[in-house]
Amino acid sequence: MSKFKLATIVTALAVAASILALGQPAAAADRTVKIAGWGAKSGPLRSFGVNSEAVLKAAVKSINDSGGVKLGDGTMAKMEFTYYDSACNADQAISVVRKVESQTEALIGIGPTCSGAAAAMYGIFQKKVDDAADTGLQFPILTDTAIRPGLAKKSQWTFRNVPNEITMYDEMFKWLRGRYPDVKTIYGGTETDQAHSRITFAAVIVPMAKKHGFEWVGGGIKEVTGKVAGGMKQVLEVSKSSNWLLADTSFSVQARAFKRSGADMMIVSSHPFTTCGMLKEMRRQRIKPKVLVGLTSSSSAETLKGCGAAAEGMYIPTGFAPITEAAAKVAAAAEANGGAADLHSAAAWENAHIIKQVVEATGVMAKPDTLKADRRKVRDGLEALAKVDGLMGEIGRVQDEGESIKPYVFVQGQSNAWKVVHDPR
Amino acid sequence: MSYYLGLAQLIGIHTLLGLSAYVLMLTGQLSLGQAGFFAIGAYCAGILTVIFELHIVPALLIAALLAAFFAFLVGFPALRVKGLMLVVATIAFGEFVRLFFFNLSWRVPRDGIHVGPDSTNGFREIRYFVANGWSAWEITLFVWTFVLLVMAALWWTDRSRAGAVLRAVGEDELAAQSVGLSLTTVKVTAMTAGGFIAGVGGALYAHTATYVDHLTFTVLLATFAISYPILGGLSSVFGTLVAVIFIQGVLVEGLRFMGDWRSIVFGLLIVVAMNLKPSGLFDARTARLLRRAVGLRGGEKSRA
Amino acid sequence: MSDFWFEFVEITQTIGDGLFFGATYALIGIGFTLIFGAMGKLNMTYAAASLAGAYAGLAAFAFVDAPAPVVFLISALASGVLGFVAYLTCFRFIPINNHLAALMASIGGLFFIDEMVVHATDGSPLTFPALFDDVMFDVGPYGVRGDLLFVLAMCVAGTLALLYVLYRTRLGLATRAVSQQDVAAQLCGIDVHRTNATTFVLAGLLGGIAGAMTASAVGVLSPLITVPLTVKGLIVTVIGGLGSIPGAIAAGLLVGGFENFFLYFRGVNERDMYVLLLLFIFLVFRPQGIFGSGADRD
Repeated sequence: MSKFKLATIVTALAVAASILALGQPAAAADRTVKIAGWGAKSGPLRSFGVNSEAVLKAAVKSINDSGGVKLGDGTMAKMEFTYYDSACNADQAISVVRKVESQTEALIGIGPTCSGAAAAMYGIFQKKVDDAADTGLQFPILTDTAIRPGLAKKSQWTFRNVPNEITMYDEMFKWLRGRYPDVKTIYGGTETDQAHSRITFAAVIVPMAKKHGFEWVGGGIKEVTGKVAGGMKQVLEVSKSSNWLLADTSFSVQARAFKRSGADMMIVSSHPFTTCGMLKEMRRQRIKPKVLVGLTSSSSAETLKGCGAAAEGMYIPTGFAPITEAAAKVAAAAEANGGAADLHSAAAWENAHIIKQVVEATGVMAKPDTLKADRRKVRDGLEALAKVDGLMGEIGRVQDEGESIKPYVFVQGQSNAWKVVHDPR
Repeated sequence: MSYYLGLAQLIGIHTLLGLSAYVLMLTGQLSLGQAGFFAIGAYCAGILTVIFELHIVPALLIAALLAAFFAFLVGFPALRVKGLMLVVATIAFGEFVRLFFFNLSWRVPRDGIHVGPDSTNGFREIRYFVANGWSAWEITLFVWTFVLLVMAALWWTDRSRAGAVLRAVGEDELAAQSVGLSLTTVKVTAMTAGGFIAGVGGALYAHTATYVDHLTFTVLLATFAISYPILGGLSSVFGTLVAVIFIQGVLVEGLRFMGDWRSIVFGLLIVVAMNLKPSGLFDARTARLLRRAVGLRGGEKSRA
Repeated sequence: MSDFWFEFVEITQTIGDGLFFGATYALIGIGFTLIFGAMGKLNMTYAAASLAGAYAGLAAFAFVDAPAPVVFLISALASGVLGFVAYLTCFRFIPINNHLAALMASIGGLFFIDEMVVHATDGSPLTFPALFDDVMFDVGPYGVRGDLLFVLAMCVAGTLALLYVLYRTRLGLATRAVSQQDVAAQLCGIDVHRTNATTFVLAGLLGGIAGAMTASAVGVLSPLITVPLTVKGLIVTVIGGLGSIPGAIAAGLLVGGFENFFLYFRGVNERDMYVLLLLFIFLVFRPQGIFGSGADRD
């Protein structure tokens, strides 16, 4: 019995010790550039976190393989990253950013996945740097995934490297206008309980289509101003029966609403699950629009897994496609790490390289006692960036908003893959 | 430090959420609608500090009273049903509230930007704390002042005749009625108190998170609300606190070192805990043992 | 006149579509009602286990290209096994009168099953083989989805089989005995645990079919729908009357039709509010449900 007890105690101590060891990485004798990533690795959106982590891992490896990052005093330091699960949940995203800021030596954070979590997380940051009255968090963020329009300007500490949907859809409808001169009328629906799909639909996609001479039919959207600031009510009067919710399973009414509208072009502005549900219902009802346009977020592997055949012919603008040598390399590396590079996760690669560039440009020291100053340098460096090299070409920075203007291509679903059909770069 | 303070705030707020369900459970009512009252508190307090630029304390109290008022209204029809029917009825109430806020858009211009709840786009800029220079310590202290007040009030109630009345109704309605207790009064009072507590929690939540949208207040949050008192046990208010620390502190944050396994272990550990301690992690027996261990006179107040 | 006719066809088609799709809700509702009828308890793992069963069937389809009947069979079996495991882990060893602990354990089970599915699939939506997906019956101006007709037929067949088991076999007798008076049943020599376990397995088998049916009706499977399906199943159970299988079917169809009707007239943002109002109306005016007797509404 006493032997058993002893064994129990020893085991418990060993477990406790290992937990402590895991919790506190060995004190850094050599200097490293630490970064933190987080995203949804549990819950229905797990693929986003898995993809981002896979790409980030590949990016950090490539940086270290080519010598690492040059610090302010000329030392070459390795880059190191930790990835956390924030589960598409505002509380967890806030907890993680607080943990990373106060418990680790990370210089910058990359995340989160969900725009709702990002909106909450950005909110706890200091709004304007050097505003002593504002006790918000002071830690730079360079988000890779959360794409809802207009988030990063919430704080001067938050930056994003996500596609700019306004330009993408503007150019795409211009291109479609030329390609399909006989297509006149458009109609569509969106997931109204998801801010990204709904806002992009009402404030970006439809206004851009109208700008290029397509005629919105079937009522529904009344006064499309293209301005989100005044609130959803001013942006659109939600049409009666053409929209759906994120977890909806039946789409017969929405599909028939499209059929009734008789429009030439159909817009399906939603995430992969319901995009698939809607496309499948349209097939059942034998509805074949002349042109089908989707939401940026649907240009991913998820849509192909869910309904590759039904997505045949759908046009989507996207900020990533493996068409350059670098992009193809990243796609392969992500796959080797058990993820996929898509318009969201590929940004993690670019972010790691942007961070390297900023660290080198601002002379970050990466010493424990320079942590606060280093983070500030990284933030200032990010703000100062006017343009950076991305996987698909040059990425422009909207400096006062912390947003980016990324190069893009138009893809189309063709035999279970996204084929690049137009490259405006 | 800000990490632990943030976590302490979250634990405090979820304790309030759990306690709001705890009060109801004492009277034998299981409500999956507490997320609804939490949402009312969150949106109302947010609107008051952001749109009407009120001080946080009156905003919080008004929000809690409004949540209590709705709970009072819900209390009457809820009397008609119990058990699973009540569970589903309260789910429906909570979802109804969520859908109301899903459709609510009320924006006013302030300092060059528009603020206020905005339907799917959520309710941003509830930055009363940080904008007024509150430090993380002060926010935590503020949150816990309310948590401790509520806990003390419930603790005191539990030890007074009122607590006995609540539990009597929870144990056996018929017997309680036959000794002259009014079920309507007791149950509606409990519902109202639960609404008030959830309202306080929601108001604090909106201000610590700075952002809420309708997806914050789903059935999942309501499930957490009832999870805390069940997991902690109904023997005292501390059960709920213990359970919140167990779930938010240990299962969600403490197990981060487990990486991918964390989310799997989460559900598994709840199942294990309920099998090992069906009447709660902090049941009457544990409470007695603990009291004895710290040298207080223990054991005389035993409860089933 | 033709406008009126057109609108009439639209509306009836809309409601009809909803009614048929409601068959999938009915199947989930039946499972909840069955276990509630037998044990007086809520098994929150049910919808998650049903969908997990569908995933198992999908795996069979993906890896060995199993034909549709086999996919459904595997779904049912997997979900039956999960039902048994759920009984063992969430109900068997928890004191029979401790409803809260059993409920909580099954909530833990729901999280666990859901997260296992998420980890196995990375949460990505997966295409599910459709049954008679392209079969559309044209009845005059109306179109009826063949696969939903099949779901409805399965619903009725499953119910008939259940009713047969419950009212024509010894096992059913034992189940009903346990559900009415477990102590008396025990005194008569009925093994309560075994009977309850069997009920869970039966409900699980049905759940697997329900999950596969739902998945094939949607055409896509995703862990996104677990919680909404659980909620909808519970609403259907209550509207149908706790413990009433025919009630669950009627309620499933009713909810489906109601959803589409309000989707058509009021839009998706308000749709679910009307479904909840329907539930409130039932709770206030007819708490015993559609076919309930009114005697027992706890």
